[in-house]
Amino acid sequence: MFEYLPPLNEHNLPYPDTIHPIVVHFVIAMVLFAFVCDFIGYFTKNPRLYEVSWWNLFFATISIFISVIFGQVEAGLSLAYDAAKSTLNLHTIIGWSLSAILAGITGWRFVIRARDPQILPPAYLGLSIFLVALVCFQTYLGDKLVWVYGLHTVPVVEAIREGTL
Amino acid sequence: MNSELVNQVASDFGANGLPYALPIHPNLVHLTLGLFIIGIAFDIAGALFPLQRTILKFLSLTAVRSNFFDVGWYNVLASAIITFFTVASGFYEILLATPAAEDVSAWDLNAMQTMLWHGLGGVMLLTLIVAMAVWRGFQRFKWRKDSIRQVQWVYLLAGLGILFLMYLHGTLGAQLAGEFGVHITADQLLRSGQDPNVVLR
Repeated sequence: MFEYLPPLNEHNLPYPDTIHPIVVHFVIAMVLFAFVCDFIGYFTKNPRLYEVSWWNLFFATISIFISVIFGQVEAGLSLAYDAAKSTLNLHTIIGWSLSAILAGITGWRFVIRARDPQILPPAYLGLSIFLVALVCFQTYLGDKLVWVYGLHTVPVVEAIREGTL
Repeated sequence: MNSELVNQVASDFGANGLPYALPIHPNLVHLTLGLFIIGIAFDIAGALFPLQRTILKFLSLTAVRSNFFDVGWYNVLASAIITFFTVASGFYEILLATPAAEDVSAWDLNAMQTMLWHGLGGVMLLTLIVAMAVWRGFQRFKWRKDSIRQVQWVYLLAGLGILFLMYLHGTLGAQLAGEFGVHITADQLLRSGQDPNVVLR
């Protein structure tokens, strides 16, 4: 069966470079910017920024499902060695959870917006602080997988294939 | 950068060659790219708004055309502001990079060539993003203030051109990390003959 799958390159990937870290641009940047817009909009009483926030959040929610799919594929191919495993597990669990949490918060935002796009309840702002914190922590874990453990980088993949790691 | 020179300051840095555990530049890159790309995407969505009416109606999404242009403007503006920091941290981290001299990337460039192109590209992209934000501001507040379609087609075309440059530029950056192992702890440990499984546990 395996001979029908595309061959893996020196990053242990069937395509040139990792895709997950690219797709997560749109989750990280859009969630953080949505929060900044809500915050500024709330304290300067500028409801126009709520719309900017909503569309950014909408896009983040679409992106998170795509990033989970690529993340799962690339995690499966990551050849995670023992020291990296616990971080990868936590990153995977939070990633899946975050997709549900983000979709839920976006759903609430949809209802808030449908009722009155000019008003943002403070409870929503409070919840979005939690969302931002979770996204930052998830980014920290992903950063560790790349920048500390070097998953999918050529030297690490090479060392694992040679059996030295 | 020459490793003898870097060693003048880096002797007490971490194995990744930085005075902190995780590089800052790649994190700011998320913001620069995400904000700019979505900014251009929403201006395109605003410009082609009549084509999307049926889709938006099908999804019961209420959307006002001018709000799409708000997203286009604020996202590109935010990208322009944050990118100064992206480039600044990038240059700091490139100055402390000590990749292996003999490696060659998938694009047949050695480490120094890749770093030079990525550094030059960073300054060029910063200039272009700031120019786009200024251009976008003129369209929004002066030239096309009262137009239904707030952006010029040539602005959107320029935006798409910049996205292509970003793809080339981003690939060079990814090669610095994924192929040359710049500032990646595990890769630098392997190079110095240490076992990441032992050191990083």
